Amino acid sequence: MPTTDKRHQEVVKKIRQIMKDVSTDLMVQKTMPVLNVPKVGSDNTVWSDSKRMLTIGDKTVGISPDSTKKIPTFTQYLVMANAVRRLLDEEMESTIRGMYYATLSTVGDEKNKQKFWAGQENSDDAIKAIELLTGVPREEFSVTSKPKGMISGPITLRVGGDVIDCNLGSRATSQLIPTNIRDVEIIKVKADFVMVVEKDTVLNNIRKSGFIQKYNAILMTGSGEPDRATRMMVKALNEEWKKPVVVFADADPWGLGIALRYKIGSESLSYDSDRLVTPDAKVLGMMFSDIYKYNIPEVARLAATDEDINRANDMKKKPWFQDKQWQKELNIFLQNNEKCELDAFFKHGFKYLAEVYLPEKLREAGVI
Amino acid sequence: MTQKATVEVAAAQQKPATKVKVRYDKKAESEFFVDNSALAGFTTERILYMAVRELIENSLDSCETSHVLPKISLSLKMLDQENDLWTITCEDNGIGVPSDKVPVAVCSFLTSGKYVEKQQRGLFGVGLKMIAAFSTKDTIHPLKVWSKSHEEGFESYFELRTDISTNKPIVLAKKTVKGEESMIAGDSGFRVEAILHAKLSPITRNNMKSKINEYISQTSVVNPYAIIEYETDEGKVTFDRRTEVMPQPAKEVLPHPADMDLQTLKKAIMNFMNQKTTLQGILSASFQKMSSEKAKDIIAKACVENKLADKYSENELIEIVKICKHTAFQQANTDHLSPIGEEILTTGMTSEYTIVTTKEVVPSVEGTSAPEVQRPQITVKVLKPSLTAYASRTCVINNRPTIVECGIAYGGDIPSFKLYRFANKIPLLYDEGSDVAREVVSEVPINRMGITKQEAKEFANVEVKSDRAVELLPLHVFFHICSTKIPYKTAGKESIASEGELKKYMKSCLSELYRKVSAQIRRELRMKEAAGRLNLYKFYIPLVVSAISESIKIDSAKLEQAFTELAERHVKIEQQAGAQVVEKEDKITSERLEEEVEEAVEIDGEVIKPDREQIAINAARKKGKLSKPKSMKEKIPETLQKKDKQATLDAVIEGKSKGRKKVNADD
Repeated sequence: MPTTDKRHQEVVKKIRQIMKDVSTDLMVQKTMPVLNVPKVGSDNTVWSDSKRMLTIGDKTVGISPDSTKKIPTFTQYLVMANAVRRLLDEEMESTIRGMYYATLSTVGDEKNKQKFWAGQENSDDAIKAIELLTGVPREEFSVTSKPKGMISGPITLRVGGDVIDCNLGSRATSQLIPTNIRDVEIIKVKADFVMVVEKDTVLNNIRKSGFIQKYNAILMTGSGEPDRATRMMVKALNEEWKKPVVVFADADPWGLGIALRYKIGSESLSYDSDRLVTPDAKVLGMMFSDIYKYNIPEVARLAATDEDINRANDMKKKPWFQDKQWQKELNIFLQNNEKCELDAFFKHGFKYLAEVYLPEKLREAGVI
Repeated sequence: MTQKATVEVAAAQQKPATKVKVRYDKKAESEFFVDNSALAGFTTERILYMAVRELIENSLDSCETSHVLPKISLSLKMLDQENDLWTITCEDNGIGVPSDKVPVAVCSFLTSGKYVEKQQRGLFGVGLKMIAAFSTKDTIHPLKVWSKSHEEGFESYFELRTDISTNKPIVLAKKTVKGEESMIAGDSGFRVEAILHAKLSPITRNNMKSKINEYISQTSVVNPYAIIEYETDEGKVTFDRRTEVMPQPAKEVLPHPADMDLQTLKKAIMNFMNQKTTLQGILSASFQKMSSEKAKDIIAKACVENKLADKYSENELIEIVKICKHTAFQQANTDHLSPIGEEILTTGMTSEYTIVTTKEVVPSVEGTSAPEVQRPQITVKVLKPSLTAYASRTCVINNRPTIVECGIAYGGDIPSFKLYRFANKIPLLYDEGSDVAREVVSEVPINRMGITKQEAKEFANVEVKSDRAVELLPLHVFFHICSTKIPYKTAGKESIASEGELKKYMKSCLSELYRKVSAQIRRELRMKEAAGRLNLYKFYIPLVVSAISESIKIDSAKLEQAFTELAERHVKIEQQAGAQVVEKEDKITSERLEEEVEEAVEIDGEVIKPDREQIAINAARKKGKLSKPKSMKEKIPETLQKKDKQATLDAVIEGKSKGRKKVNADD
């Protein structure tokens, strides 16, 4: 049953074209087919000065069943492409885990039996390859991930036919950010600014303190590594609704990396930066200098690992890190070899973070 | 040594009350060796293994001395389980021992016909004596010996025991045997029957048995010209004679002057005692590569006068020795060595006999309560490798000429990696980890064989687990070192030390062999890889076909057939890459081109015709000129363009701009 959705029809057309090209190579040209997939990774990620974000370079990887190693990969891509087509034809939607299950099988005979997928990462890679081959993000073909982003504050969404007011009066809970973004529409935003924090624990603390009501803010978190829906929501609030966006993450290279996902993008999703990155977002904290400025007691600080130090040294060299302020911050970290979580402010009292630290920082930046 | 030399020493101590008397005794050789049996390798667990070793080695030496093709029968059986007694018997067709010498040859330690400068298995005159002494020490049974020496031509029978405290034989019985009593069938030979006490736990017993099996198997590899029969309680096996060729026997040679010391020089002079010979004469007559001129030079250089030999002082003699050490002599000859040789080792490697133990099930007898039992059974298995190679080097180690021989056998019946070490044709079974051969195998890089570590790992037998890539291959490596002075690491003579440049020569041998077999091994690996890849295609093609045929309208049978053919051709081309191309030239004529262009296929309602350029590329690939399949960068090679001008290549190139022709099915 072919899909009636126009955008879905386009995806299906692209998938069928891939199948057709492969068949032409095999049956007519009698040569091994090649799927040229744009390369994803650090060596094909380019910093764009004009866009102020990480973008994908022009390197591609040829996946062809000509080499032993790539026979399985090539097959996996085609099987996944066919599964996506089926999903769209049936007008269903699925998570990436669902796609993994839908395509599970074994290959080989009794003697050499092996799994078609080595694990879900394998099938996630194949879904990524379909995005890259068709040039369409997976949300557009109804493959989503489990929601984990959260939002609280004076904003109203329409999800499908349902209107959701995220300004939950009870202060007791937040709204999950739906991952099927095609069905999500922002209909009303009354807040003055958007504050993104790294973790849900910190978000809960801030919400409970009445911060939203006091400063008329929208609170968001990606619960660690933000999913695409969260990043897109941040971008929409900043660019379509013209709300300033500030980001707070832990004072360690890892947290800094997460804050930067919002502001400049990431290597693994560099091909989709145009939809995901908010270059005007401001990363306000937690700065390494804040550890000392706010007298975080020594027991609440953590020793930096070798991995942290390597990461920091790496970051120092990146073109987007040449700002004097940031270089200074990284030097502080490399000198002291100490890191700190936002949660460490709780040592100063449960309300300290929401009532002292954050307002000070926001005032400094001129947001409130 | 009946009267013990006892010396009393009163230590001149200040306190007479604590005066200690130290007694100095002279010990008989036999007593010393029995007390220190571990020196000769006779420890409780190894006693039977050592006995087998010594008897086989004596027999092989005896045969080789007279260049007789050896036939050895060995038997090791349990005599009395309760008292841990074993009977060991060994018979050979060697030169035998003259009847008057039999008792000392069997019983008196350090009595041997082998104290000469040539390569032999046994050297010390200890082995057989050890068996006799142990038999005397632990049992009431005499040692039985039958000997028929090639000089005497009659067979003598002895019953012997050793007087351990005096190192002298006790002859209990002696007679000449004839007719029915005769045990030795041939013209000469030697047969020993000994009863030994060996208390072994079940585990050490199995261990001992497998070591003996291994020892006999390995002996047979380097002695393929010998028939070896081995009988045990678990059955009897025979190692056939696979060649009539025997190695050149070692000749006795004079010592080389570079190896001279005061003792050897004095011994040489002693030999000419009372003969009024000059030192010059003695030197040239007692050492090899020492001409009379050279001897004169040396005496002159040592600044001593040329007088009668027995008139020299030790000081003068040591001067001579010093000069000899610093004089260049011709390299020592190797006549006194007896390497296995390429022909014999290759024979041994190409039909490698090994003893395997299987379990024979004895069913329970009906009507009795006897349960079913599994009885071990030994049989012989012949391993045939798919290829072998041999190399050797001659070098000087420890001032002695040394020959290094190396062989490798690869593939075929060989299941996994194994290192064989031999010293003067004796297999070394213990202490492999500390042997120089072990280091050599680890240090010669496997890429000399033309394969990478990765490839070795990919094609390894899945059951084999090792960090060293070479040990993943079905490969047997053989090292044989022969010298009159093997640099053993320990007194147990089980591993060889990396003395001087020995390791360098061994490595050079092994590298040479790796190079020799590289082509063949690569070919085999390619075949294996090709088979694996075809399997992979077989498994994955159906998945691709079903994904495509569910998505678009297509003849799935034809698609599968096309993909399979392409995959098979592709594997074949990859296999040939680098090797000689066997496929016939496939000229693209303009007619053929036009024909192929018309071979259109309908895919998803659209008729698609092939590209002219692609046809040319495919043809080039068929000839093996393009090994890599289509990639965006693929170009027609220049050589092809020149060579096949008549093949309307120009037309092909023109066709490039036209691209893929598409015709709508409805037209």
